[in-house]
Amino acid sequence: MSSAGFTSPFGANTNPFGSGRVETGSMHRVVEEDENDVVTSPTTPSFGVTGGGLFQGPFGADAASDAPSFGLRSPPNPESYPAQYNFARRTSVSAESLKPVADTYDNWTPPQHPKSEEQIERLKNAISGNFLFSHLDDEQSAQILGALVEKPIPTKGIKVITQGDAGDFFYVVEKGSFDVYVNSSGALQPGPDGMGQIVGTIEAGGSFGELALMYNAPRAATVISVESHCTLWALDRLTFRRILMESTFARRRMYESFLEEVPLLSSLTPYERSKIADALESQKFPKGHVIIREGDPGHSFFLLEAGEAVAYRSGNDTPVKHYHKGDFFGELALLNDAPRAASVVSTTEVKVATLGKSAFQRLLGPVEGIMRRTKYVGVKSGVEEMDPLHVP
Amino acid sequence: MMMMLLLWWLLAVCQPAQLTRCPGTFARVVLVRPSHGTEADRNKVFALKILRKTEVIKLKQIDHVRHERQILADVSGHPFITSLIASFSDHDFLYLLLDYIPGGELFSYLRKFRRFDEDMARFYAAEIVLVLEYLHEHQGGIAYRDMKPENLLLDADGHIKLVDFGFAKRLGNNANDHPVETYTLCGTPEYLAPEVIHNKGHTTAVDWWALGILIYEFLTGYPPFWHQNPIEIYRQIIEKPVVFPNDPPISDEAKDIIRQFCTVDRSRRLGNISGGAARVKAHPFFRGVDWDAVMQKRHRGPIIPPIRYPGDAQCFDIYPEEDVGNDEYTDDLAMMYDDYFKDF
Repeated sequence: MSSAGFTSPFGANTNPFGSGRVETGSMHRVVEEDENDVVTSPTTPSFGVTGGGLFQGPFGADAASDAPSFGLRSPPNPESYPAQYNFARRTSVSAESLKPVADTYDNWTPPQHPKSEEQIERLKNAISGNFLFSHLDDEQSAQILGALVEKPIPTKGIKVITQGDAGDFFYVVEKGSFDVYVNSSGALQPGPDGMGQIVGTIEAGGSFGELALMYNAPRAATVISVESHCTLWALDRLTFRRILMESTFARRRMYESFLEEVPLLSSLTPYERSKIADALESQKFPKGHVIIREGDPGHSFFLLEAGEAVAYRSGNDTPVKHYHKGDFFGELALLNDAPRAASVVSTTEVKVATLGKSAFQRLLGPVEGIMRRTKYVGVKSGVEEMDPLHVP
Repeated sequence: MMMMLLLWWLLAVCQPAQLTRCPGTFARVVLVRPSHGTEADRNKVFALKILRKTEVIKLKQIDHVRHERQILADVSGHPFITSLIASFSDHDFLYLLLDYIPGGELFSYLRKFRRFDEDMARFYAAEIVLVLEYLHEHQGGIAYRDMKPENLLLDADGHIKLVDFGFAKRLGNNANDHPVETYTLCGTPEYLAPEVIHNKGHTTAVDWWALGILIYEFLTGYPPFWHQNPIEIYRQIIEKPVVFPNDPPISDEAKDIIRQFCTVDRSRRLGNISGGAARVKAHPFFRGVDWDAVMQKRHRGPIIPPIRYPGDAQCFDIYPEEDVGNDEYTDDLAMMYDDYFKDF
């Protein structure tokens, strides 16, 4: 296999062998060097086992004897390589299949285990620094805190989690303390030192086992109670992930249905609407908050998710419009930077979903182009009628 | 009926040859060739992916296995995707008969060469961009969800074949259909997008994130976020920006495309933003790439695998037959689950 006529647009110097030629022969040379490596080829020890397999091959032995060992090797140049990076093949991970209630017709609701105010506060503090909880909104956070279930650990020496075992729960320590042991073999072993080395202690307010909230992976450590009358809070993966999924799913569908009602965006395809719904950000404002102010440059548009608001124009104390759940305002900001034509003020606590013009344009391109697609040719006058915030 | 006959033929004539690769914990891939027929037939070699039904059930991968078969059937024939030739089943196993791609995993070459230079990385990245464009934009929104060098094989001419559609999922059926985000966490720790970790619902945008990680790993030899403890990998993915080493030097264009792919905010992530794959192709990192030539495989790849004969398996690692579960697929299980496997 000569490489004559190799005219890759990707450059002439792409040959990893450095000779400018791409030949199977040189590949072999590189490959053979490996046979002197200290690292044993994974092919060598395994071949015998393979032979006993379900399928025994006629040319197995031949192939294995001169197979190149694409074995793993330690990084040859430690200065430019992360010293501890594991260069092995990486296994895929997967959690249980999750489908929203709306798709499955079951009547799942998150479990609620009553807690005192102080307990809630302590739990909030315990999970506040954890990146798996850092992005939750208030509702999700409240549901998660409610779902944590109390687990008394009556005596000293109880293994709450065991290294190497399947993991389904995340734990927060309410009371007492727990030692963490790691056995270098990767799993708890029989015998007095089977737990391995102690690597730490977790006190009240601490937590452990968070990987179990993502998928079922073997526990990386053994955690054991060091005193009697300890208390834990436990949260299982399915509950955690379902709470996040259900609320996100419901909110996304709500945004999409709201967006369908915005005339300016009526020509969006469902695919485009879903992208916009994906990018909308939720914000909360107290009663009496000026959400947009007349005369300010408009940069973003708003959907009213919950609560009520009114629009005023200067020199007029009577609201020119009332907004309820599902209403929208300020959408002309997606079209131009004209000043806001009115102020919108919340009359209750409100939750809005908002999107900036720049985010919209990044996702879908200029709004003008989208409007030009269809029936929206006469948009100017149309918008004036439908939006009190438009400057005449 | 036609299908049943075909199954019989394949099972009868395929002579199992050699265990080649073991991508998951519940699937094995063996190399097979017909034991009867003309000499030309008998010289043909295929990869047979074997899944034990009880393991599929135990590992809760029923949906994934069904998606894999369906999507592979839909996308077969794309130049950079492994072709599904047939699927079938017997009492205990599910089978996917696939093209045999003899060059082995790009992963093996990457580890061997430590890293790729930018021209090599660009060659492979360009082919992957075309695969993602096809899956996302021409197939009604298929998210692949497990991009990594381990899932990219090289064919005899050094071109990429994407394999293992075990996590692929169709989010919508056509361009005007309503694509719904999906929530099941799956992928490979170093390559997971932040929205997957946070369970925010994810879309095809996860593949562009993973392509950023992949290009980084091509150029440096290791992924941008790594740790022995997976939870630390996830913390970094959520909290840390991608940083580049001083050595090897990485061009500004490469850094920029990696940063644009590995952007937490999906309204800013290249590939997901307006223009889709077309915008990716127009990025300066791909300047000078003739995309028609890429699609038509007009140039051989920068690595030509050392293949001595059809069915040569020397480019693959050989894996021991692990003592994966040997649980019996009982009549009760068959009653409960056979319906799920009826498409095989």
